[in-house]
Amino acid sequence: MNSLLRTIPFTWKNLVRRPLRTGLTVAGIAVATFLFSFVESMRDGVVKATEAGAAETRLVVYRKNRFCPFASQLPQSYQRSILNIEGVKAAVPIKIVVNNCRASLDVVTFRGVPDEGYLQEHVTQAQLRSGSVSDWLSRGDAVLVGSALAERRRLRAGDRFDAAGVRSWVAGVFDSDDAQDRNVAYAHLGFLQETAQRGGTGGIVTQFNVEVDDPSKMEAVASAIDEAFAHDQFPTTTRPESAFVARAARDVIVLVRFASIVGWASLAAVFALIANAIALAVRDRIRDHAILQTLGWTGADIAWMVVMEAAMLGAAGGAIGAIGAHAAIAFAHLNFTMEGVSIEVTASNMATVAGVVLATLLGAVAGIVPALSAARREIVQGFRTA
Amino acid sequence: MSTIECRKLRKDYRRGEEVIHTLQDVDIDIHGGSFVALMGPSGSGKTTLLNLLAAIDRPTAGTITIGGRDIGTLGRNALAAWRSANVGYIFQLYNLVPVLTAYENVEMPLLLHALSAKERHQRVTEALELVGLADRYSHYPRQLSGGQEQRVAIARAIVTRPTLILADEPTGDLDRTSAMQVMDLLVRLNKERNQTIVMVTHDPSTAARAGRIVHLEKGKIIDAAEFERAAQIAASGAHR
Ligand SMILES: Nc1ncnc2c1ncn2[C@@H]1O[C@H](COP(=O)(O)OP(=O)(O)OP(=O)(O)O)[C@@H](O)[C@H]1O
Ligand SMILES: [Mg+2]
Repeated sequence: MNSLLRTIPFTWKNLVRRPLRTGLTVAGIAVATFLFSFVESMRDGVVKATEAGAAETRLVVYRKNRFCPFASQLPQSYQRSILNIEGVKAAVPIKIVVNNCRASLDVVTFRGVPDEGYLQEHVTQAQLRSGSVSDWLSRGDAVLVGSALAERRRLRAGDRFDAAGVRSWVAGVFDSDDAQDRNVAYAHLGFLQETAQRGGTGGIVTQFNVEVDDPSKMEAVASAIDEAFAHDQFPTTTRPESAFVARAARDVIVLVRFASIVGWASLAAVFALIANAIALAVRDRIRDHAILQTLGWTGADIAWMVVMEAAMLGAAGGAIGAIGAHAAIAFAHLNFTMEGVSIEVTASNMATVAGVVLATLLGAVAGIVPALSAARREIVQGFRTA
Repeated sequence: MSTIECRKLRKDYRRGEEVIHTLQDVDIDIHGGSFVALMGPSGSGKTTLLNLLAAIDRPTAGTITIGGRDIGTLGRNALAAWRSANVGYIFQLYNLVPVLTAYENVEMPLLLHALSAKERHQRVTEALELVGLADRYSHYPRQLSGGQEQRVAIARAIVTRPTLILADEPTGDLDRTSAMQVMDLLVRLNKERNQTIVMVTHDPSTAARAGRIVHLEKGKIIDAAEFERAAQIAASGAHR
């Protein structure tokens, strides 16, 4: 054990005193790990947005066979009928206005909600970064902006905010655990209904967000709602919010699944890079290893040094790549919005840790075969081949 | 150090169909504390014999017994430990580790010994001073001359205070003065620390400073007794 610890300074010197080779190898590993961690963070965001939690209680009522906020039109009067359905705790009519219906990285989404209740319940004082809900209530054109959207558009309380044909005034910025909320601007329902240029006015909303009193009743309530309006002029499709997001984001999900393959393939590249670098290093150092063994180091010490070196390369490249990906994501505020639904890519600690750990492990594994061959080589043969 | 007894040592190398008998039935006793010069033409098997004595190579046949123990029966790890404790090897080609400085090269064998960092520093400094390289600590091998590299290699071999020093042409690349200094050092280590030395050399006057000269020719020891007598006379003259 002691001699294993004593090899570390030597391994370290071998790395730092060959800066060009070490630098190139580490750079390659870093790029590959960056890719891996980045893609894993993306996947994480998609999974969080689209996988139903066990305690999910929110349903989204949308116009049947319509997939864009412009096209989904439902009478606001449905609210009363929905509230009458057994198991429904609350039903909020929401008008959604977006500047772009297709998948895009910079979509502005306005959600018109009733003056009473919704925001007061939804946004606590603690979540407010600036402004207030009462400021929002006091002005007809006021919006409360989610933190992610505010950062993307550099919005602060008191600013004017014009987008998607809506001219509004920022009453405040708030934080939320919910990616959907972070990426929208909440406006007064009536204000949006009046100012929206497309999608009709007065009494027409895009969707209802329905709170169910018991997660186990989700399915029953959803079919009860759809049945109630099945023969109406405006039939509905009701889904749990996660399923609603998953449907809207289906293209992104396929894309991310494909990217995920690329992510794992880049880990294979990490392995290949380290295996190659270490195989070359061991070949270069046949004589050094013979010298060390003459001085009394054992084959096991040599093997350990080689594995350590490979693991250090992996750890260094992995750390740079994964932390770089973390920083890049945190900096870029990536956010896909399609059909008025947002998927946020947030830096995932899991993806970062996984990047570092996997790169290190792959390094160590890539070092094993060269390590064994170095350890098994006869000393005298080592002097002759070098 | 106890006597090293080599009995019927043989080393064959196979090159395709051809078998090269590098060492053939070598019998030799090297007494603890003696200074032996090994001479012989190129290819006669001198380095091969040194490698067997250092236990970095195994004989095809025959035994090497040290203090009554046949080192051929030891496993690889036990041999490594034995080398670390007992052997200092000065290679024909200096064989320094290129990424390490002179100081670090000399320190390398000490890392396997139970010494404090301070003791280690003292030992390394002392060894480098003994070979006259106190001002070259931080130089890398590529920044040293051949002779300087050779002296770093010598410092590395003696820094652990081994009982057995094996030196493969330690003065081969040195000018006369430096060669003399190295020989003075080896003779001193042999006398003062009672370290056993086996040294390969082509130079008769260098060999004359050893206590005993052994001749190898085509893998065989020739006329050992006769050369020994002559060498002892020469050696006693050299040491006053
Ligand atoms: N691994 C090996 N494979 C094949 N032949 C070898 C091997 N090692 C040594 N030999 C042969 O054994 C013979 C003796 O080699 P050795 O290195 O011991 O000679 P030497 O006496 O040290 O010569 P020099 O004075 O030139 O250093 C040479 O003919 C050499 O080619
Ligand atoms: Mg030789």
